[in-house]
Amino acid sequence: MDLFHDSPMFSGVRQMLGGFASKLIRPIAIKHDQEESMPWDLMKAAAGMGLTQTSIVDGRKQITGVDDSAGDPKKPQSMARLAVIGSEELAWGCAGICLAIGGSGLAASPVARMGTEEQKAEFRKLLAGSDEKGHIKVAAMALSEPGTGSDISGLATTATQDGDYWVIRGSKQWITNGQSAAVYVVWAQTDVNAGRAGVRGFLVARGTPGLVPGKKETKLGIRASETAQVHFEDCRVHKDMMLGIAGEASGGLADTKKMLDSTRPVVGAQATGIARAAYEFLLERVRGGSLHGTPMASHQHIMFELAEMQMEITASRMLAHRAAWMADHRLDNVMEASMAKAHGARTAQTVTTRAMTLLGEEALEPGHPVEKWYRDAKIYDIFEGTGQIQRRIIAKQLTGQNPT
Amino acid sequence: MDFKLDDEQQMIVQTIRKFAERDLRGWGPDADRAGAAPDRLVPVASELGFFLDAVPAANDGMLEGAYSHATRALRGYELGRGCAAMAALLETNVEPALAVGKWGSSNAKQALFGSLASGGLATTVHDSRGLLEITTDGEGLRVTGKLGPAPALAAATHVLVVAREAVFLLSTDAVKRDAITPSGWRAAKWATIHLDTKGVHGWNVLARGEQAKLVGDEILAWARVSLAARAAGVAASAMELAKHYANERVQFKQKIGSFESLIRLRDDGETAAITARLFALHAAWALDTNQPNAFDLASRARVVAGDAVAKATIDAVQIFGGYGFVNDYPVEKLMRDARAFEALHGDERFGRVLAEKANLAGGN
Repeated sequence: MDLFHDSPMFSGVRQMLGGFASKLIRPIAIKHDQEESMPWDLMKAAAGMGLTQTSIVDGRKQITGVDDSAGDPKKPQSMARLAVIGSEELAWGCAGICLAIGGSGLAASPVARMGTEEQKAEFRKLLAGSDEKGHIKVAAMALSEPGTGSDISGLATTATQDGDYWVIRGSKQWITNGQSAAVYVVWAQTDVNAGRAGVRGFLVARGTPGLVPGKKETKLGIRASETAQVHFEDCRVHKDMMLGIAGEASGGLADTKKMLDSTRPVVGAQATGIARAAYEFLLERVRGGSLHGTPMASHQHIMFELAEMQMEITASRMLAHRAAWMADHRLDNVMEASMAKAHGARTAQTVTTRAMTLLGEEALEPGHPVEKWYRDAKIYDIFEGTGQIQRRIIAKQLTGQNPT
Repeated sequence: MDFKLDDEQQMIVQTIRKFAERDLRGWGPDADRAGAAPDRLVPVASELGFFLDAVPAANDGMLEGAYSHATRALRGYELGRGCAAMAALLETNVEPALAVGKWGSSNAKQALFGSLASGGLATTVHDSRGLLEITTDGEGLRVTGKLGPAPALAAATHVLVVAREAVFLLSTDAVKRDAITPSGWRAAKWATIHLDTKGVHGWNVLARGEQAKLVGDEILAWARVSLAARAAGVAASAMELAKHYANERVQFKQKIGSFESLIRLRDDGETAAITARLFALHAAWALDTNQPNAFDLASRARVVAGDAVAKATIDAVQIFGGYGFVNDYPVEKLMRDARAFEALHGDERFGRVLAEKANLAGGN
């Protein structure tokens, strides 16, 4: 089993993105956290390197030059492992910036998976060039709603057919890039009697009448990533913009759920990156620090905490890498993906909290990186399926039942 | 054994609870966003007896007889349920006033009590890592190093410094302060001070040498009990808010409060908050009655309360889900506020380990 991904391709990506995070992300992370602003210039640079993930829509080769869509379908892929390796590095730099860079990928993924060639072309067209501020264009995946956080099957946003158009009504909540997006992938119920099968995705361009970007949220963490409400007030969308093929099962909520399954190891790896950042900061402090004249590294109280952190970080990383390896080998990894996500989130919260306590008053100062990582870590136990949802998935795999 | 509050304590709890629930909770979100308490805080709190409750009546204060740490812990818990930042401001004068009242020279008393009676604030800083350089200068001291970050330091006229070598009162006159607004307790007027061979008059030195450890331990025991009581209040508040939300929010066609995993999360948080409150009250009683293990209990109470507030606030955000992560809802503030309870005055667990090692090395 390839647990350590020590091929030149994997180590090269780790090195390259680690350098990118260290040289370009870290120096601006606190500024964007404090200003609650998107790092547009860096996002442009990242897009140039193929890091924004929208490239998967047009089948372009990723930064490694690897094209998993080509060749022998029985041969193991590499993208899942590359994604977890790269995500840990970027989130080590700053989770908010990592999410800002990858935010459009959330929308690109269903388009790549379910869209027709025409829809993919439209998506590409809408994201081409710059906006009126000179920023690169970004996309938004509009799924969650005020009443549906964990329970995405209970969407209240509706799409009603009117001739060649669908009329979308409803509000979306916690939408990454919700205010700035040039294109939205919106999920709405097309048939209230069809339950989950009636939920379909639509491509909606910015400026479409009835599409109203809402309030930007002030958040606990990941503040470099924009989160906003989006409202749809009788928003008319041409029928050709409904993802997949009308009347067929593809393009529905089931595909969306599969897509969320595939992102969980990546999210777990990002959480691991936050934990590693806090651990490394503390280790550096301990190496050079003294306490009432004695080296900090001579104290078991501190060193055993660091040892514990290192154990948990390594365990989280290996869970994410195992789930990714299984995905690359086309093995069912539903349980392993949830374990990776849940464990990574727990590790990030535990490590950042303990690191703050050990650092004492120092970590209370404004702009202290460990305090920022403490705030950033919490979202990893909430978004993309809460810790409770992950345990529910794992538990269902054990007995076949959904415990309540 | 009697856990029943006396009539005066019941009246104080009811009054402060009303103040905390109506005023502090109401003002808290805006104070947090602005990084400043509302102007109304001082007059309203003064009416309730804050700021001068530890200043002797003979010095224009309100203290007659012995100070009651049990009563302070009862009110601290209620204040914590209201707003941690404003609670810190309301409690900040107690340690300096009690310490100067007990060990201070007449000059120190005159300076501090005069300032507090005129509406001034004082605060306490513990040099938990031994970062201050303190040298003797005749009867006085010379101090170099960094103080803080500490709440109320941006507004304080005096700082009570607790260091290994000495305990002293420092006037902030002519001292440059860097006001800061941290992520938690944002309205608590934080600052840091960099001292460069700052002189401290002999009359402002409360204790030095061996005596400094004894005096410092007692002052920190007062502070630890107060911190523990307020932390327990924040933990309780987090769970109250989470319970209310969980009993309204519906997911998967049932109230999320009926999922066993969330019941347990909340139940554990409530248990921790109740435990922390009782422990803080027990330690306060031990201080009031001069029990030999009072300082140890105060330290342990802070460990328990620190764990409780850390867990309860993180879990409250978890129960609120996506809403817990945004500033429109109250629990993300509580999660930010939680950190200062463990960070101020240093890592309590580590302090206990070091103290025990010192005891063993000394053959105790």
